[in-house]
Amino acid sequence: MFQHVFVSQSLSQIKVALFTLLLLCGLPGVVLSAFPTSVSTVSVADSEDAQESSSPIDVMGKVADHDYIESPFGKVYLPRFFWVDGQFYAFANTKKALASNEFVEKEGAIIRADGTPITLDVSITSHLVYVWLGLIFALIFSLWAASRYRRGIGRTSAPKGVLHNIYEILYLFIRDEVIKGYIPKEKASRYTPLLFSMFMTLAFMNLFGLLPWAATATADLTVTATLALVTFVVTQFSGTKTYWGHIFNFPGVPLPVKFILTPVEILGLFTKPLALCFRLFANMLAGKIMIISILGLIFIFTELFGVAVGVGSSVIWVSLTAVLYALKVFVALLQAYIFTLLSAVFIGGALEEHHHEEHDDVHDDVTVMDPIKA
Amino acid sequence: MELGLLAAGIGAGIIAIGAGIGIGMIGKGAVESIARQPEASGDIRGAMILTAAFIEGVALIGAITCILLALGVGG
Repeated sequence: MFQHVFVSQSLSQIKVALFTLLLLCGLPGVVLSAFPTSVSTVSVADSEDAQESSSPIDVMGKVADHDYIESPFGKVYLPRFFWVDGQFYAFANTKKALASNEFVEKEGAIIRADGTPITLDVSITSHLVYVWLGLIFALIFSLWAASRYRRGIGRTSAPKGVLHNIYEILYLFIRDEVIKGYIPKEKASRYTPLLFSMFMTLAFMNLFGLLPWAATATADLTVTATLALVTFVVTQFSGTKTYWGHIFNFPGVPLPVKFILTPVEILGLFTKPLALCFRLFANMLAGKIMIISILGLIFIFTELFGVAVGVGSSVIWVSLTAVLYALKVFVALLQAYIFTLLSAVFIGGALEEHHHEEHDDVHDDVTVMDPIKA
Repeated sequence: MELGLLAAGIGAGIIAIGAGIGIGMIGKGAVESIARQPEASGDIRGAMILTAAFIEGVALIGAITCILLALGVGG
């Protein structure tokens, strides 16, 4: 069970140290990363028996949503807002909510003292904070770049400074390669603000997850599902006659086939955003779990073979994690790109008007195969 | 619980085989096309990433099922 991999309380400090070590053992890490993988599978299996004795920290807890955010100065508890049976309660944090005697904790969940479960829990959680941070950073970055463009830097002259150049590269890439590539040209400018802000926010949220104390907001299904829902709604509202025609009344197929095809097409409407949100969620979650598990091997080795082996082997694990971290930076940007790309593909597919040469072929084929007409 | 772990392990292996074959074939096709027509490499790369993302999506849904089995979420 990988949720019981021992990871000590000092995991945050380890990740800080990791950044320093990244500079020291970047190169050996690439060389060493070839063989530790075979060792790691064995050690996880062996540690199964030994784990009851020690205090395990669960890996899933590290990626779950919490009522606090971790910071270099300790935990910061976040406000709780409850909506119970038409009454609204607000508390500064969970402890105050429990201290007020209006709410009690029962089986891990918070309920009202009279036993009524919470109707709607709109508390601010750690993932929500990082969603907001991602949005704020994307907004600040874009407003800053916009003010520079308004002053003429980048329009009358070349963009100045590293950040401005990064912004211009990202913007041009998303607009020209992603959006104009998949959405019909005359409508592309309508969707550019939505898709570019989606990309920026996702990139910031994914990259925030790499910070030592931060939570990965995109490793939460609710966050990715919300974004996928935005894509879904926009896709349906921008659907043309051709798009709906292909769903409910597929052109050029005989009537019995339509009875099979229409449910499949309706199912296809919902599987697209579902796959979209699962892809991002699973990628970010898997990356986070992998890093915590590999760092946890240090503690497994210490438990099994003593402190000397644990310290000695930590060189391997830390350098392996350093390599994985570099990969995660790439994956964070790639997943933001893929999410934007697929959103553009779905919206572009809904916007497509009747495509003559392609569909005429389909019609011809079907007419030939149709036994009644043949 | 034990059977859940077994199912998760076997499932993860089968997912890896399927996704590996799929992405391998995409990579083969893309590299061959770029070799034949280097000037279209930009379009081909875009199509390659897009198709790989679709396969990845299916594989990840399988992977999540395996995680849920391994954690015994389904009971």
